[in-house]
Amino acid sequence: MPEISPDFTTAICARIGLDRYITAESALGGVYVAWSADGVSAVRQSGDEEAFEAWYAERFERRCVPAIEDDSIATAARAKLRGEDADVPIDLHECSEFEQRVLRKAAEIKGGGARPYSWVAREIGSPGATRAVGNALGRNPVPLLIPCHRVVRSDYSAGGYVFGGEAKRALLEREGVNFGAIGEVVRRGFRYVGCDDGYFCLPSCGDIASRLDEPGFLGLHSLEEAHEHGLRPCRTCRPMAA
Amino acid sequence: MAVACALDAPDPDTLLAGALARDLDRSFERLVIAYRTRIVEFVARMLHDNARAEDVAQDVFVRAYRALQTYPAERTGELRLRSWLYAIAHNLTRNAVRDAPPRSDSLDFDDGEPRAALADPDPGPEEALLRAVAWDSVAEAIGRLSPALRPAFVMRYVDELSYDEIAASLEQPVGTVKASAHRGLLAVRAYLEKNDA
Repeated sequence: MPEISPDFTTAICARIGLDRYITAESALGGVYVAWSADGVSAVRQSGDEEAFEAWYAERFERRCVPAIEDDSIATAARAKLRGEDADVPIDLHECSEFEQRVLRKAAEIKGGGARPYSWVAREIGSPGATRAVGNALGRNPVPLLIPCHRVVRSDYSAGGYVFGGEAKRALLEREGVNFGAIGEVVRRGFRYVGCDDGYFCLPSCGDIASRLDEPGFLGLHSLEEAHEHGLRPCRTCRPMAA
Repeated sequence: MAVACALDAPDPDTLLAGALARDLDRSFERLVIAYRTRIVEFVARMLHDNARAEDVAQDVFVRAYRALQTYPAERTGELRLRSWLYAIAHNLTRNAVRDAPPRSDSLDFDDGEPRAALADPDPGPEEALLRAVAWDSVAEAIGRLSPALRPAFVMRYVDELSYDEIAASLEQPVGTVKASAHRGLLAVRAYLEKNDA
């Protein structure tokens, strides 16, 4: 007899316009994870089912009900939220094209690093749109799965977050962002940090986080200064975009 | 039987129908989980096609949902879910079976001869025979059953529905579905004996 796919129910729910959600464990405790057949559509703090379902119906204009079983999307989302490597499909249909560009860019930032809002704006080809980038990240329907918490203010303070600024900072610290050292670099008026491997980075680049505590790093005030030292821009944090 | 049920704790289907009546969306996945295996397997047997079974079974549940959306809560709460779902599955598979080109070797005992066996439709030993033989052969025999006999046979001898439930699903009198199921059984048994020999 035929094997029944784990996504059997999901295919039916897609056709009747019904999304489902689970409660999953994450670095920030319990979260609701809602999904459609196209992928995870929402991640929100758990606690009040009724409020979550009302918020979901309002924002997505679809009903979302508690799931009984995990399908392949829910399984992948749980793994990713536990910190495992998992490919989680994300459903961003409800986001504008600009918001999607912002969120895809944020999704590229690896754990241990952070980037300013202005960096995202430049990277997506809208250098003047720093505020709009902030708004788009604030509307991120799938925080944690798309790590919008890795985008911070230009002074590298954490800034706002759907789970609260404190949670954002704690999350970044847990991922290895060295706020103390980054603050020190900024306080001394440096915008970039030169490394002995011939590259220069943003102070929040994940590649140099551990080296910032060592004495004698090369602080740089400007791109010109970096060029004078013959340094090339880091390929991970692409400091030219900041 | 009905009286005995009423005195006992409600059966899972009654509880599920009640839940669907109260909140269709929140209870619908329970219905899918409770019946997906049966419906996929039933569809696969009816179509004699495993590859399409899952898609058609999904159609069954989508139809079920859309129907339930239109039913008043009292009607949903009183549904006999099993025969109701089989009725949808039967309707969806019937056309596909009918449209398929007839097999030249189709099994059908419809030779106009009244059969003594029809007087005693309780199969007993034959059912045991079916269980004893290799499933592949039975599946092959079911695939060769004529469209007129296949649904009643599969519902009775594979899915083990009661004749009342089959009659409700197929919208036929109980006597007719008993006869169809039994003729199907004779045809399948004859096929198995011939091919084992």
